[in-house]
Amino acid sequence: MLLSSDDPFLARPNSLHSCARQRLQKEERISFTLIEMARSLAGFLVLLLVISICEAASLFQPISDSHRSAALELFTSDHGSFKSLEETYEALRTFQILGIEKKPDVTAAACRSISETVGSSSTPKDLFYALKANSIAQCKIHEKASEGIISSLNAAVSGASLLLDFYYSIGGLVLIKDQSSKADIHLADAEGVFRSVKAFSQSDGRWRYSSNNPESSAFAAGIALETLAGIVSLASSELDQSLISTLKNDISKLFDSIEKYDDGTLYFDDKLVDGHEYQGPLSTTSSVLRGLTAFAAATTGNINLPGDKILGLAKFFLGIGVPGDAKDFFYQVDALACLESNRVSAPLILSLSSAVLSLNKKDSLKVRVTTVLGSNAPPLTVKLVGAFTSGSKDASLVESQELKFDHGSGLHILNDLPKSIDVGSYTFVFEVVLQEPEDEKVYVTGSQTKVPIFVTGIIKIENSEITILDSDLGSVESQSKLDLAAKNAVSLSANHLQKLRLSFQLITPRGRAFKPHQAFLKLRHESKVEHIFVVGNSGKQFEIVLNFLGLVEKFFYLSGKYDMELTVGDAAMENSLLVAIGHLELDLPEAPEKAPRPPPQPVDPYSRYGPKAEITHIFRAPEKRPPQELSLAFLGLTILPLLGFLIGLLRLGVNMKNFPTKPVPATFAVLFHVGIGAVLLLYVFFWLKLDLFQTLKAVGFLGVFLVFVGHRTLSHLAAASAKLKSA
Amino acid sequence: MGKLWVISIASIFMLLPFLGNAFSPESPTDRRVLVLLDDSAIKSSHSIYFNSLKSRGFDLEFKLADDPKIALQRYGQYLYDALILFCPSVERFGGSIDLAAILDFVDSGRDLIIAADSSASDLIREVGIECGVDFDEDPSAMVIDHIGYAVSETEGDHTLIASDDLIKSDVILGSKRIEAPILFRGIGHSLNPANNLVLKVLSASPSAYSANPKSKLSTPPSLTGSAISLVSIVQARNNARILITGSLSMFSNKFFRSGVQKAGEKTKHEKSGNEQFLTEISKWVFHERGHLKTVNVKHHKVGETDEPALYRINDELEYSVEIYEWSGKSWDPYVANDVQVQFYMMSPYVLKTMSHNKKGLYSTSFKVPDVYGVFQFKVEYQKLGYTSLSLSKQIPVRPYRHNEYERFIPAAYPYYGAAFSMMAGFFVFSFVHLYSK
Repeated sequence: MLLSSDDPFLARPNSLHSCARQRLQKEERISFTLIEMARSLAGFLVLLLVISICEAASLFQPISDSHRSAALELFTSDHGSFKSLEETYEALRTFQILGIEKKPDVTAAACRSISETVGSSSTPKDLFYALKANSIAQCKIHEKASEGIISSLNAAVSGASLLLDFYYSIGGLVLIKDQSSKADIHLADAEGVFRSVKAFSQSDGRWRYSSNNPESSAFAAGIALETLAGIVSLASSELDQSLISTLKNDISKLFDSIEKYDDGTLYFDDKLVDGHEYQGPLSTTSSVLRGLTAFAAATTGNINLPGDKILGLAKFFLGIGVPGDAKDFFYQVDALACLESNRVSAPLILSLSSAVLSLNKKDSLKVRVTTVLGSNAPPLTVKLVGAFTSGSKDASLVESQELKFDHGSGLHILNDLPKSIDVGSYTFVFEVVLQEPEDEKVYVTGSQTKVPIFVTGIIKIENSEITILDSDLGSVESQSKLDLAAKNAVSLSANHLQKLRLSFQLITPRGRAFKPHQAFLKLRHESKVEHIFVVGNSGKQFEIVLNFLGLVEKFFYLSGKYDMELTVGDAAMENSLLVAIGHLELDLPEAPEKAPRPPPQPVDPYSRYGPKAEITHIFRAPEKRPPQELSLAFLGLTILPLLGFLIGLLRLGVNMKNFPTKPVPATFAVLFHVGIGAVLLLYVFFWLKLDLFQTLKAVGFLGVFLVFVGHRTLSHLAAASAKLKSA
Repeated sequence: MGKLWVISIASIFMLLPFLGNAFSPESPTDRRVLVLLDDSAIKSSHSIYFNSLKSRGFDLEFKLADDPKIALQRYGQYLYDALILFCPSVERFGGSIDLAAILDFVDSGRDLIIAADSSASDLIREVGIECGVDFDEDPSAMVIDHIGYAVSETEGDHTLIASDDLIKSDVILGSKRIEAPILFRGIGHSLNPANNLVLKVLSASPSAYSANPKSKLSTPPSLTGSAISLVSIVQARNNARILITGSLSMFSNKFFRSGVQKAGEKTKHEKSGNEQFLTEISKWVFHERGHLKTVNVKHHKVGETDEPALYRINDELEYSVEIYEWSGKSWDPYVANDVQVQFYMMSPYVLKTMSHNKKGLYSTSFKVPDVYGVFQFKVEYQKLGYTSLSLSKQIPVRPYRHNEYERFIPAAYPYYGAAFSMMAGFFVFSFVHLYSK
């Protein structure tokens, strides 16, 4: 499923903007009301349809396999059982319509919950959905249970006052009539019930939910039609034809109020009334279609509805694409099934297997006409009645011709595109004509279908060359031929007084001149500053002349190597190219002071991050010291004077004769010298381990002691020497 | 009764701070997301993307962009942790939301996803400009690529681009390679070169350009080549993350499911890379990847365990930090070989790559420089796609005390010797002088 075209995003992107403007009013109206109210489905269109609708030419694809795979994803059950019977019914019905094999556990689980609901006394709504699910699951319902249901539903019909009460109870009766063996279920007073339901109708074809609610809605109209169709089929005798015909009148009135987008897509939408009753266009339109189909099936005679409206409704549902919501998906598929099978008119959809055709590959135009669900159409012929260049309103480029039908593939084929169709984008107009006049009563085809077609081809590139010209004389300085199909490595040099000329020709497969959307020459300086020039054309010849004298300012006076790159591309060109031409060594004058600076270039995100280089601290080197031996040698030297002093003393013949001989002075003398020794020892300890405070404390005590004993010793020595002198 | 009332009010006030936090390491799982739409149809048409977010535990609240009741905060507390703007054409938000409110929301560390479109309004463009992204000013321009387009059967104007020029970063795009090209249809934007917080995640090919596909070009387009960014991300300084793209349809179910074949290539991919790409990048935006936290920042001297109040010069120290990455459910150890610590005073004195034990513990040891002053341990970790880590812890460094210097220097022995021999001489001389005859 390679981008199949049922997606509005893919099919018509460019219309989005202008469309958005046109739809603004609608958006506002829808969104305003949405704010207040239920949002699940509200304003379903705005995005999807805004995009899909603006262009008159548009493609709608019937239901395809992408829907089937999406259905399996959306309707996921928990071990086969769904949250409610309503959801079970929706899943089963969707699978049935799309022809998906039901998983047995889904059916089994459905049967279990159906029999539970049916067996107990449930509300008409539950019974209704149980029976609806059973119409697909085909489970057995006990005779007794069905009798109980019939009686309770009959009671509900007679007691009903709201439209929905009628809907559920009568719908239930119709379903049980189809399912049970007893075929004699009749409404006692069918005409009375019919009239009481009809009382909800409004003059504009819409209906009310209840008699005391003045708001009318198209959604209710669909429900009412389905209910009335049920009453008709349950009636024991023929109903009054005048009732039926007024109802048909109502239906055509309802279709008069249909809302329309620009390309003929039609839908029903309700004025916003009340939050929980507002349904959104998708479910509203689906409901009307269901009602219409049921009513058409139950009654005889024609309902006059223009085929265009039915076709417009079909396009509405197909234009949505694949909804992502199970409920929306069900509405879409159910409505399409109603369209497919209804007795009024079944729309036929024209689709293309490919809207992009290649002239070189001789692609043929293949058209398929199918019903909305993708089944084969009755015998018919498809005519190509016109082809226009998109956007122009000229006369048709082709004469009307019929497409050949290929029985094997079921495609209508136009093998060779007319000679007048060259590459480009076109709008083709097709007409579908049914072969059997009988079929025209059943099918609607629409008058003409406009389809956008892109024709592509390989463009021939010729006479490509690049030259450097002298500015004043116009003489050719250097010239090189280029082969634009491959990479070139031309090396040129120029100064600011010269010009660069690049020229080439483009020719379409039909031999005409081709103007691509994209023809750029890009010059990229070493510093990544880029300059882009559009290559202009005159007839077939594409040419660009760069006069560097006028461009120096634009080039930011950047001399140096410029890489040249040529891009030629177009939607219709199969060989769009981006080719390197080579490089140009440009010699430009020095930049004046006030010259503009080149804009900053984006930095590479990868280089912005990453670990930094590690940093380690360089520590101060320790001071240089002499070797230990040297220190020890000098230590020895410092001892030498002491030794010399001691030897000197011995040689002088020192003695201790003056030492006091009396015991008291001798004691003081010994203490005095012990004190001196202690102070010196204290200094040693100070050096080894004591701190200043401990040392000063000790010195304090020792000092006092020394002063005392010193005074005694010295005064004794002084007295002794004075005695000696006087003697 | 009155007492009960006071208690309940008090408990509300105590709980308030927890109601409005952005991504916080304390309660990283609490993520409420406000999705603003142009139309509720987007909810259905983009349901796969929304469902993938829901399945990851995000609580999405869908609102129309012009809903008059929408608000980002109430009583000063933010109601959401992230905002998704899927409303390209909104001219004015409803309620109290405006450009300033969105910027405040981001400034508070919350995340933002913006998807523009070719119908992008001035408001959405302004939000983009504030994030460092300039959408093409031409309102009818789209990104066109005649070489790198996606082959399609239904359209041929080459605005559907199959791009595979992705940023090379596992943390942003996940470790699984994105094989299929990514479909893009919308407007291009350019990044402000002065802004180094914004990164190009998906860029256009060199042959792309941004122009109106319907009209002829006479002047060169403002955006060409790989300067065109298709998808960009911003990580603000407060680690708020923003995703900006010029294509809303790239989030759509259609693009998620559709197959893709790039022009000129033989391989057809069953599925485009959009789902993988956008899911992975949303994990990044919502901090399920690349969000780091640090715990247990420790430093101490070698051989000790307690953290000192200050260091002395030349101390040997050990520094360690644990780094974890949020995986969406739990904090997993972060493993990388480029986490660096700096010992910093005015400039880094030491910058060292930390080694790790593969369980998130990063550690290193180094010697304190012989310069004293007030230093900082700094971890400034910035890596493409990761939140930046910025740790700094002040620590003073002192010089040696007087008694910490070396005591007995051999080179000084001659001086000691001289002093002691002098003292010995004095002691002997005191006897000789007093008692010699």
